[in-house]
Amino acid sequence: MTALQMATIASPDSASVAWIVRSLWLIPAVPMAAAGLIALLPQPRRRPAAMLAVGSLAVSFLLAVTAFAHVLLHWSSGAATRETVSVDWLSLGSSTLQMGWVLDPLAAIMLVMVTFVGSLIFIYSIGYMSHDENFTRFFCFLALFAGGMLGVLIANSLLLLFMCWEIVGLTSYLLIGFWYQKPSAAAAAKKAFLTTRVGDIFFLLGMVWLFAQTGTLLFYNHGAGAMEPAALAVLLSQHAAWGLSAAGAIGLLIFAGAAGKSGQLPLHVWLPDAMEGPTPVSALIHAATMVAAGVYLVARVYPLMSAGAGAGTTTVPLTVVAWIGATTALFGALVAVAQFDIKRILAYSTVSQLGYMMVGLATGGVAVGMFHLITHAFFKALLFLGAGSVIHGCHEEQDIRRMGGLRSDMPLTFATYTVGMLALSGFPILFSGFWSKDAIVGAAHHWPVSQGPFWMLLIGALLTAFYMMRQVGYVFLGRWRGHGHAHESAAVMTVPLAVLAFFAMALGLLGTPAWPWFTAFLESRPLAFDFAGFGEPGLLPLMAATSLLVLLALGVGWRLYVTKANDSDADPDVLQTASPTVFRWLESRLYFDELYGATFLRAYALCAAFAAWLDRRLWGGLVALVADGFQALGQWNKSVDGQWIDGGFDKGCEELTTAGGVLAWLQTGRAPGYLRTLALGLLLLLLGLMVVASTLGQVKL
Amino acid sequence: MTAAAYGNLFSILWPESILEIVSLVILVVDLGWMRGETTATRMRVASLLGSIGAVLSFAWLEMHVGIASVMGGALVSSPTVVAAQSCILILTTLVLLLGLSVRFTRNPGEYVALVLLATTGMMLVAAARDLLIIFVALEMLSLSLYVLAAFAKDSAASAEAALKYYLFGGMSAAFMLFGFSYLYGLTGTTSLSAIAASLAIAPLTPLALVALVLAAVGLGFKVAAVPFHLWAPDTYLGAPAPVAALIASGSKVASFAVLIAVTAALVPAWGWTATLLCMAAASIVLGNLSALVQSSVRRILACSAIAHAGYMLLGIAAHTLAGDQSVMTYAVTYALTTVGAFGVVAIVERSAGSDRLDAFAGLSARSPLLAATLLVFLLSLAGIPPLVGFWVKFQMFAAVLRAPLASGWGLGLVMLAIAGSAVSLYYYLQVLKRAYVTPAVISAPLKVTRLELFLLVAIAVAVVLLGIFPDMLMQWIPAV
Repeated sequence: MTALQMATIASPDSASVAWIVRSLWLIPAVPMAAAGLIALLPQPRRRPAAMLAVGSLAVSFLLAVTAFAHVLLHWSSGAATRETVSVDWLSLGSSTLQMGWVLDPLAAIMLVMVTFVGSLIFIYSIGYMSHDENFTRFFCFLALFAGGMLGVLIANSLLLLFMCWEIVGLTSYLLIGFWYQKPSAAAAAKKAFLTTRVGDIFFLLGMVWLFAQTGTLLFYNHGAGAMEPAALAVLLSQHAAWGLSAAGAIGLLIFAGAAGKSGQLPLHVWLPDAMEGPTPVSALIHAATMVAAGVYLVARVYPLMSAGAGAGTTTVPLTVVAWIGATTALFGALVAVAQFDIKRILAYSTVSQLGYMMVGLATGGVAVGMFHLITHAFFKALLFLGAGSVIHGCHEEQDIRRMGGLRSDMPLTFATYTVGMLALSGFPILFSGFWSKDAIVGAAHHWPVSQGPFWMLLIGALLTAFYMMRQVGYVFLGRWRGHGHAHESAAVMTVPLAVLAFFAMALGLLGTPAWPWFTAFLESRPLAFDFAGFGEPGLLPLMAATSLLVLLALGVGWRLYVTKANDSDADPDVLQTASPTVFRWLESRLYFDELYGATFLRAYALCAAFAAWLDRRLWGGLVALVADGFQALGQWNKSVDGQWIDGGFDKGCEELTTAGGVLAWLQTGRAPGYLRTLALGLLLLLLGLMVVASTLGQVKL
Repeated sequence: MTAAAYGNLFSILWPESILEIVSLVILVVDLGWMRGETTATRMRVASLLGSIGAVLSFAWLEMHVGIASVMGGALVSSPTVVAAQSCILILTTLVLLLGLSVRFTRNPGEYVALVLLATTGMMLVAAARDLLIIFVALEMLSLSLYVLAAFAKDSAASAEAALKYYLFGGMSAAFMLFGFSYLYGLTGTTSLSAIAASLAIAPLTPLALVALVLAAVGLGFKVAAVPFHLWAPDTYLGAPAPVAALIASGSKVASFAVLIAVTAALVPAWGWTATLLCMAAASIVLGNLSALVQSSVRRILACSAIAHAGYMLLGIAAHTLAGDQSVMTYAVTYALTTVGAFGVVAIVERSAGSDRLDAFAGLSARSPLLAATLLVFLLSLAGIPPLVGFWVKFQMFAAVLRAPLASGWGLGLVMLAIAGSAVSLYYYLQVLKRAYVTPAVISAPLKVTRLELFLLVAIAVAVVLLGIFPDMLMQWIPAV
């Protein structure tokens, strides 16, 4: 498939736009307002803060469901499924900058997912953060995040999207560094903020370029938007450097922003460190929603990315996306194999799965990538919340070597976690991850450019199943290797787990080849139930092959980490014993951080040192010289000031006051004097006028 | 002028007539049935009746907005006139209600009746377009105010204030009448529009200049412009607080309304604008400077009134539609703010027995709400955004700068006016400093009646709201 068939573009009059479309802005506005209100609450008011946050997101959820139903209704009736509302924002000379929001299947489905998963995680956070003294602050940030994220989803303008995108980045920073008293958390927050900023700069450049070329930042505007054929044709005809069209170059720049947010190579380094934040934050922001914003952005600007692609060919941006995505997918899976921190494993898994989504977008189109985004959001949120429950139950322990055998102590967590793990691994038929990942692998297989990504994804899939089995083996099976006693978490935490587990399984039904509801909905095509969908050439063998791979990896994992489970937390990992060097490389994340430290940061530090040297020696000397000169001047000035200016000012003030005094003295209080003044004033006025009038020749005396 | 027009007079004089009737009713009620009651009760009844009269009159006005004139254009009614008259009625009502608990007289019925008579004079002044009517209306207003200023019969200051006001007013009225007679002699008519037409074609003679300056005396006296301002500080200081408020508010609105009309007639003659400008510049400088050294809040308000009159004279001299409109909005909002400020002064005086700056010490601790209203009033007078005082000042100076007539002097005088406002901030802040920074000498909470507080807060809210939504003001006072 070359481009998303956006054939159905609504062009409703503003009057005929449905209530829900006109009020779509309420969805982000409600949590943002709640964030503002919570910010005003004093710190000890926990209940109202939590109620406000959860309540506001629940309201947003209801609105999102209404919007979803609205789109669904339009789809089933064959009407246009994309509706936009634009408002003039500000005028720049003769041109007007517009912003607005869009409701289409893509936005609708994301809105429902984010509000739903968000609500669950908000509820879960009430339990998880119950002992934290900054409870209200946490919910304030969380609600602000939700507002920003929902703003990203409904934005119909690249600028509005960017602004919400930055709000999301800010809250991410604030929440990663939520326990800022921990130096590692503060550093991680800074790292996340700065790394994503690198991507954002490119994003901003792309945006400015787009505006310069098309004069609009609206995505869809009844034919005049930047994602619509007229503007795309203009962009395609403009040539940038290296044989790229403007469309291609802008697409690449925007993808750089998406890569920063979505932790794609080489900007992935912040995401694992971001796990320093509270676990619900990891689940909501750094697994389910914010990191997916990059994927969503690519999906949003997909017409731009794919502009110029014909049958059997693709575009430069999409090729780049595919390769980067595939590399990231493989890299993340590799590194995840050798981690010991329960959340870091999941973090690298997230990096890897985001790579899958990117490949899905690049090779299969919006629907393929987005389907994995949605299913991943559910099962990864589930896994993170499960991990949170484990951490909570094991008294803030995060090292999987010091866990084990938790299945009996935490049966609910174990059951739901297993569901999540199987979904992530892509366990056949029953779990949503199987269908969404298989669609991506299939799309990569049919990619006309290269088979490289396909093989990388296959290896990635194998590794994914393996490291998840390894993690479950370490944490839930085997023998307890930690200290103290683990306990199951409260219902406020386990119920969201159960709900998410249900969806981790059920969502797969929406995207089977026989009933591709998701694809049809997203592309606004009619939908039919047809087993012939499985009959596509090569589909069934591929499914069988991936299933076999997954089962194989699970089996190997079981053999290595369950049957031969370690007895003590000091025992080395099986792989560590087998190949210490490779393991060390993987454990150290292929030394990416060190590489950046040795290159970029070192270069930066050198520049800084040089600048400091210049500052101290060269400029410092000059400045000292100038300063001395000015000091001398100042001394002189001071004397002048003291003698003349100050004196003058004081004198002036004195004069003013004296003048007032004189005037007040005129006000003697004696009536005859008053009357004399009146007559005198009259005469003076008359005399003055006469003189002036006669000099001007106005009057002849 | 024909006798047949008397029947028609009522067609636009109903509001004034209502006030007259009500004032007579008040006299009857107060001196008849209420004779045995305490002064406080009588004051309450009389003020209430007076307010009802003003409200009735206001209602009639608002129902009859339109353009009408009687007696060959000697008295007119137009949306602008109606707006000025409505505003005068509102101010009178506020003054009456705020004066309810101010004890200064044993004859409340006469006091309220005179206030209504003065109001009638103000309304007539605003509507008059004929020299004779203007003079009669001004005298009606002035005579009532002279008596009112002397109404605190136990107070020597009140008597002194009234006497000075009277002497000064009488003399300037004489000058003005003299000037009017010259104008009549020069043009052969007393109608403003006819005078304008006649002056436009006649060459300027020294006699005409004399006539202009003499006419300016009387009007300059009413608006307290330098050099005809000397009565203001003493009268503001000595008159009973409600009367001072009335002199500072309603009387000013009426005087500026008529000054705009007179300017339209006299501006064709060369000297009129120059006369206005001389008075304006002198008022701005002298008003602001003499306010600096005052230690009495009433005198500060008097001196600042002189300065404000100077600003407004600039707007009048610009003589454009927008300029006239801005002067009216300025006068109206200035009057409203001043009534509020005098309300606060009266309350403080009641407790401390003096209006000196020290009496305001620690006001914010003694009555935070009252201090807040004072803050709003004074900052609005100083022209601090977003209060209405800023907006009207801005609007008026902008109008002056845009006026074609002001091309020669606009910028210089507007800069002088802005410098004057900067100076004025000092003495307003002197008052606010006492209210907010200086610790209280008397720590007992201030006794403020609920009605007073309600009215003051309402005025303060209006000052804030009109500053934020100035369009309401502009719609109420149209540019025509």
